[in-house]
Amino acid sequence: MPRRKDEPGFSRRSFLKTVGASSVAAGVLAKAPAVDAQGPAVVGPGAVPITLNVNGKSLRLQIEPRVTLLDALRMRADLTGNKRGCDRGACGACTMIVDGRTVYACSTLAIECQGKKIRTVDGLATGGKLHPVQQAFCDKDALMCGFCTPGFVMASVGLLEKNPNATPEQIKKGLDGNICRCGTFSRVFEAVASLSARGTQSASKGDELPDMLESNAQMDEGVRRG
Amino acid sequence: MANAPQGRGGAPQQPPVDPKYNWPSTPKTVVGTRVKRLDGPDKVSGRAKYTFDVTRPGMLYARVVRSPYPHARVVSVDLSPAERVPGFKTALIHRDLKDPKTAVVMYQGDEVAAVVADTEEHAIDAARAVKVEYEPMPAVISVDSALAGRAPEVFPPGNVRPGQTAQNGDLDAGFKAAAFTLEQTYSTHVITHVCMESHGTVCEWDGDKLTAWVSTQGVNSARDNLASGLNIPQANVRVICQYMGGGFGSKLQLGPEGLICARLAKQAGAPVKLMLDRKEEHLVTGNRPSAAAKIKAGVSADGLITAFDAESWGTGGAGAGAGFPLPYIYQMPNRRRAHKDVFINTGNQRPMRAPGHPQGSFITEIMMDELADLVKMDPVEFRIKNLQPDAPNAMHLSYLREGAEAFGWSKRHATGDTTPGSIKTGMGCAICTWGGGGRGPSLAHCEVASDGSVVMRLGSQDIGTGQRTLVAMVTADALGLQPSQVTPEIGDTQYGVSGGSGGSTTAASTSPGIRIAALKALEALKEKVAPALGTTADTLVASGGRIHVKDTPSKGLSWADACKHIGPQPITTEADWQPGMTSATTSGAQFAEAKVDIKTGIVHVTRVLAIQDCGLVLNQLTAESQCYGGVIGSLNFALFEDRILDRRTGQMVNPNMEWYLLAGMSDVPQIEIRLKNMPERGVVGIGEPPTVPTAAAVALAVRNAIGVSVRSLPLTPAKILQTLQSNQQKA
Repeated sequence: MPRRKDEPGFSRRSFLKTVGASSVAAGVLAKAPAVDAQGPAVVGPGAVPITLNVNGKSLRLQIEPRVTLLDALRMRADLTGNKRGCDRGACGACTMIVDGRTVYACSTLAIECQGKKIRTVDGLATGGKLHPVQQAFCDKDALMCGFCTPGFVMASVGLLEKNPNATPEQIKKGLDGNICRCGTFSRVFEAVASLSARGTQSASKGDELPDMLESNAQMDEGVRRG
Repeated sequence: MANAPQGRGGAPQQPPVDPKYNWPSTPKTVVGTRVKRLDGPDKVSGRAKYTFDVTRPGMLYARVVRSPYPHARVVSVDLSPAERVPGFKTALIHRDLKDPKTAVVMYQGDEVAAVVADTEEHAIDAARAVKVEYEPMPAVISVDSALAGRAPEVFPPGNVRPGQTAQNGDLDAGFKAAAFTLEQTYSTHVITHVCMESHGTVCEWDGDKLTAWVSTQGVNSARDNLASGLNIPQANVRVICQYMGGGFGSKLQLGPEGLICARLAKQAGAPVKLMLDRKEEHLVTGNRPSAAAKIKAGVSADGLITAFDAESWGTGGAGAGAGFPLPYIYQMPNRRRAHKDVFINTGNQRPMRAPGHPQGSFITEIMMDELADLVKMDPVEFRIKNLQPDAPNAMHLSYLREGAEAFGWSKRHATGDTTPGSIKTGMGCAICTWGGGGRGPSLAHCEVASDGSVVMRLGSQDIGTGQRTLVAMVTADALGLQPSQVTPEIGDTQYGVSGGSGGSTTAASTSPGIRIAALKALEALKEKVAPALGTTADTLVASGGRIHVKDTPSKGLSWADACKHIGPQPITTEADWQPGMTSATTSGAQFAEAKVDIKTGIVHVTRVLAIQDCGLVLNQLTAESQCYGGVIGSLNFALFEDRILDRRTGQMVNPNMEWYLLAGMSDVPQIEIRLKNMPERGVVGIGEPPTVPTAAAVALAVRNAIGVSVRSLPLTPAKILQTLQSNQQKA
């Protein structure tokens, strides 16, 4: 049964008060104390007001709780930089950074992201200047049709912020959650490697990572893919 | 050697109709260099607006109701439950249920109805609410059962449609001359295009005029499709496609969803967006047909193929053909090939990057290595021995030699890696050819204004190849400017007629018109500037951002000052493609090295070398990117992708991106591209050829590693283990 904004418990103030509570349910609930023996109260299915912190700005939206972070930003805030390729958390075109972690925004509910710092590709360039990752993608021609590119850019930013000294193997692993159909992988690798202190270091030079096919982790990965 | 003439590929073309417009023979300033994409910053920052990103005031969202059955009669469609869904706006039934022909759906995903709602979520709800009554009908699901005559008759006059039989030479004599014969069956599977941006359209009507944002490889063909499908004049349709997220052949024609969107927008009285989802993409927007061939081939003791007899087939879905070239490239004077198209109840094929060639290449090249082993010849030498001596622009001989040297082919062991341990290593090679080439009409419009601005306008589109950048480069090159000084305007039918981006023809079809239009504008500018410089126009040249007297750069004007002489009316010129500045046919050779774990069947490709020509290289940087992309696409074809159908229901079991496998970065080998520039041939095209031979080269590297042929794609771990096991049993 749809709830309207003016119904009790949906004022912005009380809503924000619940954000940051320990359970995910509390994050989506207007009245956290109303949790009864039956479990958490249901929100929606109608539109509810939410507030998101996107690229450093506060964004108030009225959305159904089922709406994903990606769709909320793309279709309700015209932040269309990040794309939807598979809608199932497989292709990575929707990759955003939420509280420092890369997430598949197509598989994350917007309502769960309240109180978190959301970064999309739209906000990456500052003052008309491209982020170094974006610049490297342009310089190395690490894009073709460009549809997967925003996801690759965000995944690369997330990777390098976590590990500025990523080795070639770590770069490959770190970007394995992104798919490009035009086949830009070689040049995306070059672009990201050019920004990492150890990115161009060859894996054989004393790296701790063993040969690809002899690594158990890699074999597991291969089995999953195969 | 009998085939010594092979490799005369650099033969110059006929001169252009007007030689003064030909490509310059002097060192290039822009054309042939590495120029970064002009739209790179827009793409990396998310500013580039794809059809998927277009938002119009009051825009609504549409969703298509599709058949879950591969073959069924639609008995009834009840839209009323959808009308009660919150946000519902309008709906339509896509087929005439009274007509026994159109009431039948022919594959899973076939369109039945469509709905419009205020949000995409509500449109999905409404589509789910539409009540469709189906009467399931027997379906053809497997190619094998169709061939064996065990499938229900669905496609009159038959599920199997014999095609032409091609025959040359004397087959009996050929087999008599053979020292060895081979009889094997080889096959490739169905894959889908998996464009990252799905097919889709935003349609907006203004009275009887339609503006459509379409994710398309051809704005002009999309306009034609919309006009004829809606029965309205072409002049009433404007198609816009500034950015599009991949097509690979599947977006050359507008699909039914385009017309549905336009009709819904008319019905709703508001702009409507209809983007397909990933499942719909796999089911209805095209695929690469399967290919198979039962081959008997003979080879003489000294390694010449004496006879080739093939029976081939493939499926392109519910009524579309599945042709492919066979044999591929090599010379087989005594040959016969009979082909059959097999129809099954799946979505129809559409052209996919080098249609037919990857299939023909795989089937032919695996056979080549098996024949080479029979006569104990090195596969490179065996290929060279069997090349056609006089094929147009056949550079394969020199590329095979160069590639073998560069790749370390001399270190290749004979079939089967005998080193201990479970990891086996091998090498393989394969060759390719593709037509490409240019054709008109492709009208380019150049505008030079008194403020020095230069606009080059044409109804072409950038599907990710870098076409927008090429337009600016070719213009700048002709005017002595930098590409950033030119504004390329493409992706809109208002910019005139140009062809679709398919068949590796875009660069060759558009660049002559661009160059000629720019040079004509320059001629007009020189006329205006000459009096101020106290000379005549024929003494002037444009270079380094200046118009000056030839050999006296100081006697001239900067581009901006020169353009001040233009006056209030800009210089406008127009030109079309003309013969002589472009040609057709490319050659390539690729080498691959793979490691195979014979305990798990997992293949990891470690290295690929691609040697490829494409005539005159316009942008070295983006042409190389095309080659990388082609190699990786073919690697996907070889190892990962597979459209899997449930053998009972005929439904696709992996219509997504987690079980429809595609390479990730860890799967991508070290790739070396050697792009051969042949300016004397003019522009040819690069999109397709590099995606042809990788799959075969990889399969042969696997064969060389494990000592057994895997004669069908994809090379999944299960299939490799199975092949190894059955080989052991035989031994």
